[in-house]
Amino acid sequence: MNRSQLIEELRRVVGPKAVVSNPHDLMTYDADGCVMDTGDPHVVVLPTTAQEVSAVVRLAARYNVPIVPRGAGTGLSGGATAMQGGIVISTARMDKIIQVDTKNGRVLCQPGVINWELSQYLKPYGYQFAPDPSSQKACTIGGNIANNSGGPHCLKYGITASHVLGVEFVLADGTIIWTGEGSPAEPGYDLTGIVTGSEGTLGLITAAWLRLTRLPEAVRVVLALFPDIAGASSAVSQVIAGGFLPSALEIMDRLAIKAVNDMYQLGLPASAGAALLIECDGVEDGLDELLTDITAICLRNGAIEVRPARTLAEQNQVWAARKNAFGAMGRLAPTYYLVDTVVPRTRLPYTMEQVGRISQEYRLPIANVFHAGDGNLHPIILFDRRDSSQNQRALEAATSVMHVSIEQGGVISGEHGIGVEKQDYMTLLFSTDDLAAMAGLHQSFDPHDLFNPGKIFPKGRGCGELAALRRAGTAWAELKGV
Amino acid sequence: MAPEERTYICAICVICGYMQAEAVTMQTLNHQLAAIVGPAHLSEDGAPFAVHGRAPLLVAAPASVEELAQVVAACHSARVPVIPYGGGTMQSWGRPLVAERFVAVRTTRLDKILIYEPDDLTISVQAGMPFATLDAALAANGQMLPLDPPWPARSTIGGLLATGMDGPRRLGYGSARDLVIGIQMVEATGRVSKAGGMVVKNVSGFDMMKLYLGSLGTLGIIVSANFKLMPRPRAAASLSCRFARPEGAFALADALREGQLTPAAVEYHEGQSALADSPGAASMFTLEVRVEGLAAAVERHLRDVTALAERHGAAEVATLPSGSPEVEPLWALHNNLPQTLERDDNELVLRLSCLPAELPVALVDARALAARNGLQLRLNARALNGVAYLRLRGVELAVWHAAMLERWPHITLLAAPVGLAAELPAWGREPANLALMRRIKQEFDPDNLLNPGRFVV
Repeated sequence: MNRSQLIEELRRVVGPKAVVSNPHDLMTYDADGCVMDTGDPHVVVLPTTAQEVSAVVRLAARYNVPIVPRGAGTGLSGGATAMQGGIVISTARMDKIIQVDTKNGRVLCQPGVINWELSQYLKPYGYQFAPDPSSQKACTIGGNIANNSGGPHCLKYGITASHVLGVEFVLADGTIIWTGEGSPAEPGYDLTGIVTGSEGTLGLITAAWLRLTRLPEAVRVVLALFPDIAGASSAVSQVIAGGFLPSALEIMDRLAIKAVNDMYQLGLPASAGAALLIECDGVEDGLDELLTDITAICLRNGAIEVRPARTLAEQNQVWAARKNAFGAMGRLAPTYYLVDTVVPRTRLPYTMEQVGRISQEYRLPIANVFHAGDGNLHPIILFDRRDSSQNQRALEAATSVMHVSIEQGGVISGEHGIGVEKQDYMTLLFSTDDLAAMAGLHQSFDPHDLFNPGKIFPKGRGCGELAALRRAGTAWAELKGV
Repeated sequence: MAPEERTYICAICVICGYMQAEAVTMQTLNHQLAAIVGPAHLSEDGAPFAVHGRAPLLVAAPASVEELAQVVAACHSARVPVIPYGGGTMQSWGRPLVAERFVAVRTTRLDKILIYEPDDLTISVQAGMPFATLDAALAANGQMLPLDPPWPARSTIGGLLATGMDGPRRLGYGSARDLVIGIQMVEATGRVSKAGGMVVKNVSGFDMMKLYLGSLGTLGIIVSANFKLMPRPRAAASLSCRFARPEGAFALADALREGQLTPAAVEYHEGQSALADSPGAASMFTLEVRVEGLAAAVERHLRDVTALAERHGAAEVATLPSGSPEVEPLWALHNNLPQTLERDDNELVLRLSCLPAELPVALVDARALAARNGLQLRLNARALNGVAYLRLRGVELAVWHAAMLERWPHITLLAAPVGLAAELPAWGREPANLALMRRIKQEFDPDNLLNPGRFVV
């Protein structure tokens, strides 16, 4: 590849100011939130329109260099890292909210819009975009869609995929398509659903129609304090089993409480080994009764105190503490490795017990801040990256958590994606046939592996290869279990 | 040899050879399938399973995923098309099959619950289980899957997912798209693959569930699916708000959309009142509101919706309070309106999809065109979702359809009189991304053996 010639052509497409090629400036783009994996792109472009993105894609195809889509780079699985170099397409300048259409319950925006800013923008209309990842103050809508991101309110409102009505999408040959616009039963394959969560491996999102969710009439937040995480986990399992429908059930353990307590002046007692944040929303009527029932379950499971957040300010304070807990980990250790996994909700107490065991076994503190109501764990392994022994133990502890989770009927990622970080765990969950079906789907979109190559599929078992094996058909039985 | 002569002789050879080969193929296949499923579960009487008047040569009813996979693999080797067949309640959807000879693969013996841990609020169930059977199992544990299909006692889970059929409560709980968390498929070659899992939040690999949902069995046969469940509501009630004109009903729907009430369903109905004993029912337009949840919240909804309905000029507001015996039959009628199993010879059943706010306009068109063409129209619409199901009876069905399609691109044919099914564009106007959809079909079923010709691709 003639890099300087490519850069020259890219400048002609997006303008000289929208091309980053100086090695020093490129360092910003060598990783996302997953610092375990790094890779330098050859060049970064910051287009502003779908037409520009399309032209860049055509150039990439002609020069045979990969494209790596990137939003805010807050992802935790290396999904936005250019592991094989190539062109990083940043959506940072595609940051416009284009149209709010309350009559049709939808909003049109560009992929670079920040999740939090969208919800703030929608508030005066009386609406929200329900998916709210903890990184929502930085992460972008494009990244949310690409990773089918979660967040605390998935418990009631569902995952991102339930909130995307259609996307404008640039395919590998530069074609720009719309997959939908909000008409709910268009005949044909559900391209919107397929693209959501495909981690930038099928094409690039350049705009999206998102579903609007009406703001609830009333919201209640209560913080229940437990002596240990076992009680909090059991309470959550029982709340779910009991058929209560809170809008969020979030747990923070002792270490996490320690990290956020001072920062947010929560004034939580040192005796609290776990805090369970309970949120209920809906119409005013019946909400207190619902909270009373949930509180009773907490008390039966050994809660030492139940603190209602009485004002909106108090509610916001509690939520800020929860959502910024990852950031506060910096107070506890120089580095952390955040593991994302989901287990069936009855397995929560046992799995948390095992996480405690793993912490002891690998002699590393593990903090827990997680979406308990969904069974979505986030053990945060605290370590010092400069210490190679700790580094190694952190990786092993993470693998160990993953094994426990799968053993309990869990999966390898609930909301952060596979990217590079989890790609080698895929075979723990999926057979070669399972992966080959995914590879087949991938090939029908991106036959030359132009978009975000080397992600999701296990290393050494590329998408093209898997799909080719699958096409070979009859030879398949013999290749099984390879 | 002169070129014309060569052509002539070859043509004869090809036809003879083809016919002989086909006969041998079907005979061999018959033996193979009998060996797989057992002779008792292979039938040559295809008539009861005829689709658009065309009967399968063989009907196989495998008892396990392995058997089903072997059946599909054998058909694949013989290059004989397959139609997946569940309860047979929605087989009239789409276009007629393009194949003359085909095998129907029944899923009805795959009718087990695979994993059910009620306290997890998830379930894994085989594709052939009728919806009503699943619902009964869930009810025993105070849980539900709020999909509300027509003919629940016959309609199977697999068919429900393959068609992407929705129900009135999609407003409150979402459709199958939001509730399926895992799936297992038998692909065109007989290969078995799965995706998703048994947890409510999962981004491990591509969301293949979305690919297969609503794909009408053209990419593979669904053999089992995992769902996230909902607790059955503690209280539930319904309001039937009747209006003299459709505008009133949609004004109420609009008010509900703008407000902060959280109804589970807001269903618009016209052409015949769901409440059979109502006088003058035929000229009425009703908006039925279903509310579910905590008792206090349900009471509040009843009060507020009644007041809103009166403010918007409802001629009558009937409340069916929580526990009322009329609630279930009323909603069963709504759920069943899109059914295609029992219909008149001159009846057309359609699904229309549009932006939610366009719905009243689309229905004005549907109504006006029906009147102009002397057709009887009965319809249900998910008033806040942008989906309507229409039943038309009369002669000028094709004229109505052509005129309607000119204005509204997404009209799906669910059932049509004999002859008309082949004639009408069954999936509405050609979708914008047909080329990409064809590439997907090509990748999953390159020989076009799964439901050939029936779907968009």
